[in-house]
Amino acid sequence: MTTRKLSGTTRAFSISAGLRTVVFAGSALVLQTLSTPVLANAEGAAEALPQPSFELTDPERIAAGKKRFNKTCAGYCHGAEGVGGRAPDFKGRKDLPDAEAFKTIFHGRRGSDIMPPWGQAFSPDQIWELVAYIKFLGTQ
Amino acid sequence: MNSIRKQFRLTASAAAVAAASMLSVFAVSPAVAQSGPGFEDPNNWPQYHRTSNAWRFSPLNQINRDNVKKLKVAWIHQPGTITHGLQATPIVIDGVMYSISANNNVWAIDAATGKTIWQYAPKLDKIVDQVFYGAASRGVTVGRGKVYVGTLDGRFIALDQKTGKEVWSTQLTDPKNQYGALFSAPPQLAGNVLFGGTTGGDQPISGKIYAVNADTGKPVWTFDVIKNDPKSWPGDSGKVGGGSAWMPGTYDAKTDTIYIGTSNAAPDYYNYDRKGDNLYTATLLALDPKTGKVKWHRQEVPNDSWDYDSAYEALVVQKDGKDVIVHLNKGGFVFVMDKKDGKLENVWQFAENVNWVKGIDPKTGALIDPVYPEIDKTKTFCPNLLGARSWNHGAYNPGTGLWYSHAMEVCNEVVAGKDDPDNLKAVSSLSLGIESIKLVSPPGSKPHGRLDARDPITGKRKWSIKYDLPPLSSVLTTAGGLVFTGDMEGKIYGYDADTGKELWTFNAGSGLRGGPVSYSVKGKQYIVFPTGLGSHAPGFLAGAFPQIKDLPGGAAMVAFTLE
Repeated sequence: MTTRKLSGTTRAFSISAGLRTVVFAGSALVLQTLSTPVLANAEGAAEALPQPSFELTDPERIAAGKKRFNKTCAGYCHGAEGVGGRAPDFKGRKDLPDAEAFKTIFHGRRGSDIMPPWGQAFSPDQIWELVAYIKFLGTQ
Repeated sequence: MNSIRKQFRLTASAAAVAAASMLSVFAVSPAVAQSGPGFEDPNNWPQYHRTSNAWRFSPLNQINRDNVKKLKVAWIHQPGTITHGLQATPIVIDGVMYSISANNNVWAIDAATGKTIWQYAPKLDKIVDQVFYGAASRGVTVGRGKVYVGTLDGRFIALDQKTGKEVWSTQLTDPKNQYGALFSAPPQLAGNVLFGGTTGGDQPISGKIYAVNADTGKPVWTFDVIKNDPKSWPGDSGKVGGGSAWMPGTYDAKTDTIYIGTSNAAPDYYNYDRKGDNLYTATLLALDPKTGKVKWHRQEVPNDSWDYDSAYEALVVQKDGKDVIVHLNKGGFVFVMDKKDGKLENVWQFAENVNWVKGIDPKTGALIDPVYPEIDKTKTFCPNLLGARSWNHGAYNPGTGLWYSHAMEVCNEVVAGKDDPDNLKAVSSLSLGIESIKLVSPPGSKPHGRLDARDPITGKRKWSIKYDLPPLSSVLTTAGGLVFTGDMEGKIYGYDADTGKELWTFNAGSGLRGGPVSYSVKGKQYIVFPTGLGSHAPGFLAGAFPQIKDLPGGAAMVAFTLE
């Protein structure tokens, strides 16, 4: 069983985060056996992430994330309170690192199913609000 | 290349083959017992629904009630990439199968052996990585010596039928400015015109149907699904009104008419800015193929505020000696109308759980006491946004006079809400017009799926099979008195068309989402099932059916024949 590259290309995205520009480079989508997709950095280097401008436990930010989640993620695929969809339930989930959640929302993922990328739709803080709400669901 | 093209051929012993051939001599001779609609070109599956009446009926009867349990795998064709499974209905002409897999990979396959004859992979615009309806296609169309493809980056492409080489390619949509509007369904032929609509019914676009010259690719006409009429679309609401025609239409040569259904209006649940009937959304259109002008139309869900597309197949059957169209929509009703002018003959309720209207007047088609979504209020609507059935087509058997169609009973709780412009910046953004949504059980019962065998005109049910998970496969029926389908777990079924009795089953290992077909090569009948669970529908449904989460994806075309 071999690991197969799906896209065959490396992709680079740039986003504006306030006054600075953060560049994601060398992100390649790699398809492994049973096609569980993982975001891997082609050079093996850590991917630079824009940091949240707030605490991920901030109730107001969690509420903002919840509102956006309900209007988009839930209706599209993930289900109310993150229960549903083809991804693992977010409710009660404690094994999802913040950075991975951010990167998955930003880049999307492809395996047997598709999550489109949302990095062009939301600002980094809007994505971090979603991460804050997903983290909150993990405690429920 | 070889690593992604695998095919297996199973061989039986020489004696078994000889015995089967002798048996088939007797069975094959009356293969076409009748003639007339649905019986033409019996050995092939030449178009999406096999015939223009959308029956999905094969006149072959070598495989029948008595021997179906002897079906064995003849070959398996694996396209390699499994993203969103196999959703196609393959086309089979003179022993060659034409089909399509993830990322618009087109295949010509020896229909007797499963061997690849040619393969074509288009160079797609990178925007396809960002679209919501990614990777999948529901098939190709073959005719005029060409294989026609509708692509993920908004083109129609024609390939040489013999070689798979590109003949022409025409860009029709502007994916960057139309939220990735793409062709998820195969464009269809109406004489020398090739036509089709795009995704986008749930997106802030203005949906269109495109037509080109099938020989040159030169655009012929474009039909605006969003009617230019301020009464129908107040203000600028039509510019973001959705209204795509995302399923294949059919072409009736007898009347030289295209029949094609259209999607819901957008924003789906938030109708505050589009008070009007929102023509031509949720409508069955009869179009002139030469001009794209409307011959007649019947809107089934005026001011659709529940995501109740009317994009499904236009089944044609006879009623009192005339052709009528039988047309299911997602709202859970079947409209029966005169094929020549759309005049209503009947409307019957298909879904068991319907609460968005008290009913639909079978004489006028008027909605009786519709209940609309509202802001700040949680309301439960049945059926849910995927409909009383997903797009997986039914099949009609002239021998039994029954229409076989899957159904699902799932509801959703919705709070309407204005879309946040911040949420509409991505190519993949949807315009659902919600504050929240949740799939729920129908009142007082468990969510489930069914296969119903019904009289298509009256809806009278002869038999019904219940499934824990709603099947998403299209249905095939044959003159062998059989009905074939498969479920989300990958189990394939052969039923007695008269009684629904299970006669044969096979576990394919991943769910079915495409269209099974039947054909004959050198006197031998085959039944082929596209397998591999795909599309966003299973993910949506997992809210009501948690076990869907654990179902594996896949992509394999599995062919069966008698030993």
